[in-house]
Parts: sequence; C-alpha cells; structure tokens
Amino acid sequence: MGDAQPPAFPVDRHRKVLLERLDAVLDPEIDESILKLGFVNSIQTDAGHITVELHLPTYWCSPGFCYMMAEDTRRELLKAAGVTDVTVRLKDHFASQAVEAGVNSGKTFSEAFPGEALGDLDEMRRTFLRKGYLKRQEQLMRNFVQLGLSFEEMSQLRNEDLTIQREFCRVRRPTGQLSRVGPAELAARFFQRREEMGHCSSPTAALLTDLEDKVIPPDQLEEYFVNARTVRLSLEANGSLCTAMLQSRKAVERRVFVNLGSYSHHERES
Amino acid sequence: MYHDNGRTLFVVDGHIHLWDARPENHRNEYGEGFIRCFHDYQTALSPAEHIWPFEKFCCYGKETLINDVFLEGYVDIGILNSTYLYDFYRNGFNTHQQNNVLKQEYPDRFILNGSFDPREEEAGLDKLRQMAEEYPVQGLKLYTAEWRDGSRGWSLNDPWSYRHLELCDELGIRNIHVHKGPTIYPFNRDAFDVHDVDHAATDFPDLNFIVEHVGLPRLEDFCWIATQERNVYAGLSVAMAFIYRRPRYFAEILANLLFWLNEDKILFGSDYAIWKPKWLIDKFIEFELPEDIQQEYGVDVTLDVKRKILGANAARLYGIDIPARQKLLQEDEIGVRLAGP
Repeated sequence: MGDAQPPAFPVDRHRKVLLERLDAVLDPEIDESILKLGFVNSIQTDAGHITVELHLPTYWCSPGFCYMMAEDTRRELLKAAGVTDVTVRLKDHFASQAVEAGVNSGKTFSEAFPGEALGDLDEMRRTFLRKGYLKRQEQLMRNFVQLGLSFEEMSQLRNEDLTIQREFCRVRRPTGQLSRVGPAELAARFFQRREEMGHCSSPTAALLTDLEDKVIPPDQLEEYFVNARTVRLSLEANGSLCTAMLQSRKAVERRVFVNLGSYSHHERES
Repeated sequence: MYHDNGRTLFVVDGHIHLWDARPENHRNEYGEGFIRCFHDYQTALSPAEHIWPFEKFCCYGKETLINDVFLEGYVDIGILNSTYLYDFYRNGFNTHQQNNVLKQEYPDRFILNGSFDPREEEAGLDKLRQMAEEYPVQGLKLYTAEWRDGSRGWSLNDPWSYRHLELCDELGIRNIHVHKGPTIYPFNRDAFDVHDVDHAATDFPDLNFIVEHVGLPRLEDFCWIATQERNVYAGLSVAMAFIYRRPRYFAEILANLLFWLNEDKILFGSDYAIWKPKWLIDKFIEFELPEDIQQEYGVDVTLDVKRKILGANAARLYGIDIPARQKLLQEDEIGVRLAGP
C-alpha cells in the first residue's frame, strides 16, 4: 500500500526529522537519549505510519521505565509533520505484549496494567527529572572546578554568565574573564532541564540553584556538589551497565543505525 | 587465600550460588528469561576467556564450583546465598536444602544462608523456625523482588517482615543479606527502592543488613542510608564486575563507598557463577585508585583496605577467627588438594 501514497516529503528529510524526534526521548534513569544508548532497533515507515522497535538491555527492564520510553517515543514521533500514526514494538521483553497494547492504543500505564500498577508514572517522571537535573548540574560544576573556579565564585554566577558559542560553552567569571567550560551540549542540556524543571530563566537569576530553584549559599555549595556527584555516579553506573548488557544482547545482531550520534542536542539548538 | 609478596589475604566470597537452571527445571518462560539475563551479565562484563556457553551456565555442578571458587579462585569461605524463585523454577533456583549438600560436605568452607518470605505470614514464621532447627543456617538472603502467586514483591518494613525479623533476632540469625539490584515491581514506583532497609536497620539494631549489589541502580540512596545506619553494609557483588570493562566506574563507585561509609563496611562478593572470583580478585589486587579520584574523594585503596574488603570484614560479621579457621582449612579435602602432592 506504500506505493499508493507517496511520502509527503523527501525520504532523507523525513528520516532526519524522525531521528531528531527520537533523540529527544530519554531513558529516564540514565538521562540519555534512547537513540544514543542504542535502544532503537529499527524504524519502518509506511507513508505516515511509523513503526519503531525498541530493544532494551534486559528482559526484565522495569515495565514502568519501558512504558515511559515507549509512550515518549510515540508522542515525540507524532509531533513530526506528516506522521499520522505510530506503532511501538518492544523486542524480547517479559511484558512486551501489555506495554505495546497499552502504548499503541494511548492508554495510561495504570489502564494498561490493571491491578498491578498502583498509580501512574507522573511521580516517577518527576523523580528522574530531578535526578537528571542534579547529574547535568554536577557535570557543569565539575568543569567549573577543573577551570579553577572556587565554590564561592560559582555561587555568584547568573544564567547570563554561561553562554553557548558555536560548539563550546563559556563562562564569564566574577572577574569578567571569559573561559571555555566545555562542549556547548553541557550548557544546553543544563539550561534545557532548568526550563523543564520550571526554574527561573531570567538572565540575572542565579545559575546554580537547588531542586526547588533556591540559591545555594556559597558555604553549602561544595556539600551540594558532593551529593550531586553521588547521584551522577549512580545514573552513570547504571547507564554503563545497561549499555554493556545491551551490547552483549545484540552481539550477533547489527544495529540498524550506527551513526546516529551526529544528531546531538547542540546541533538542534544552533 | 591470596598470597601477595609473602603476605596472605584471607578471602570470604560474600555471594556465591550453585543453581540449577536447566530447561527441565523451568516452570515457565520466565525461568529461561531469568537465566538468560544472568548470562548476559556474564557476557557483558567478563573477560572473554571467562564467558561460558549458555548450556554450561544453566547447570555447572558442584565440582566446577569447588574448582572455580576454592582451587583456582583464592576463596577460603564462600557464602551460599540461597535463592528460591519457585514461580520460575519447579525445584527452586538454589534453595538452602540444595545448598546444604555442599555445606555438609565441606562444613568449614561454606556459610549457609536461608531466607524467609513474609507473605507466608504465620506459616512463614514456622518455616523459619524449622529451617533454623534443621539446617546450619548462619544468615539470610532476602529477595524482596521475588514473585509469588501474583504478588510482585514485598518490603522489609511490611508488618509481617517485621515479625520475621523479630524472630531472626530471637533465633540469633544476625546477618541479613538483602538483594537490592535490578528489580521489577511494583510497577509504578522507583523499582530499585532501598528505603525499606533504612526502616528495618533502625528498628533492628542488633541485626546487620548487607545490601547486595550496593543497591546499585540507586547507589546514592544506599549511601545516604548506610551513612546513617551503623548496621548497614555494602555487598560488592555486581559492582565488583565493573573492574574489568569499566575500571573507572568501579574506581568511582569504590571511592564513593569509602567516602560515605568506610573500609570496615564493604564486603567482597563475586556473585558466582555470574562472575568467577579468580579474575575479580586478580584485578582487585592489581587495582589502584586513579590519582585524580584519590584526590577528589580523599580516600585510598591500600593493601590493608583490600584485606578488609576481601575477607576481614565478613569474617568479623560472621564471628570467624581467621588464624584458627586457616588451620582447619589446611586440613580439609580442599586444603589438601591446594597444598598439592
């Protein structure tokens, strides 16, 4: 039936748009794109109908997380122009039938697992939005530390002091000196999460605020950093385990899209 | 026993199994799913020469265990953390009844740990009492994520869990290993929650809670809890295996544990047969904390720290007199085989 309805736009363009949408879907507990983590096994297009197959690191991955990722995949792809329908498949998972049936018919998690889910996924989403915030913040602060900024100096930074210039981000120190902090993505991801958290985006608002967007007093910033470091480590260790597991699971298969890393966040931002 | 330039390190492997996951023991597709997932763990993190064919991995037998753990693996004492999973395996995965065969054959080489399931309520208490009478059980391994008749798990602070923990206290079973690694249910919660350990550890100050896999996916929560609770310990199984493929993560995890807890509260475990103690210990002895991590965390992994993690800490928890036990071990069958002709 594909030959009766030619795609609304050139295939290459279509593919790029779809990949960008998929790149916006995160594994909530690792805080990385499912595309970069290699969880997207295949994408098939049939006119406006997209079928995506996800393959997660273990047969036992938590259904709540699976559901979130499958739901987000569907939602993101439906945002792309020309996409009329999305089917998400979950390969090799103990609850794939229930997840697929639920997600593809637009049910909530608790509707999809009656009697087994005690509620919906909002609380879990919030938890991981917050953990991801700490992770991104810790990575930024770590780079500040490496630059030689003191915690005292860091506590004085405002949103406008961290800027993105082409592929890098820069910080304006309290002395007025500009220094390169790291890749643009470092700042872009942090600002993006600040926005998702509803933190103040005013240029003069404090840059390093806590989960409730309160300013962290300079004498508490180091302790805050140490705590955030443990959260980051936990998320990263997890990601590391998941990708290693996935690699061994896929050892005999070839990933459909190997070079997706080029569609990164900062490219979209520029 | 690990020999290092004239020094010997007494090794307690805090987490080993002798399981039966052959197809004929599978109750349903989950039996296969479960063991395949374990095999993926082995494949993902082991050196290539230590990856087994799947068939061997399903059932490797007693002799293989004795060889891998004691004859080649430097281990002096292995803790058998029984795991039941009757919903997936007809005769269980590795029950205390099955594990007791090893314990009887080599009494000084093994610590036998049993379990309870609070969902059995009153009958569970009777079973626990009976197990303590009939088997030389020295500790427990609790698996809060275990499925049972439609239930997808339980919490250490459920009222019936408390009744069981009270009985442990009464029976003198002091060491409670809790599996806090990847779990599945309840569906909508943070599925790796470790907060129940916090409640139980506060309310049962005479029991020791060894959190296996250091609550890995929720390492930070585990660290906050273990910092506050004197009787919470870190079981290194799974985390240990990062040492080969992801040495920097392993370094950071260990530095983090040393920073929040201390060197007296960390216990080595291989999770055999997922990973073999030999290569884990070889790598661990060679291991040095990278200098930047050392500086950032203000901790170091000296030979003395390794000695504690590899055996001295577990020996203390289980009341093992190391020199006296070493003498006994030289004389048992494994000791004789190790000494050679």
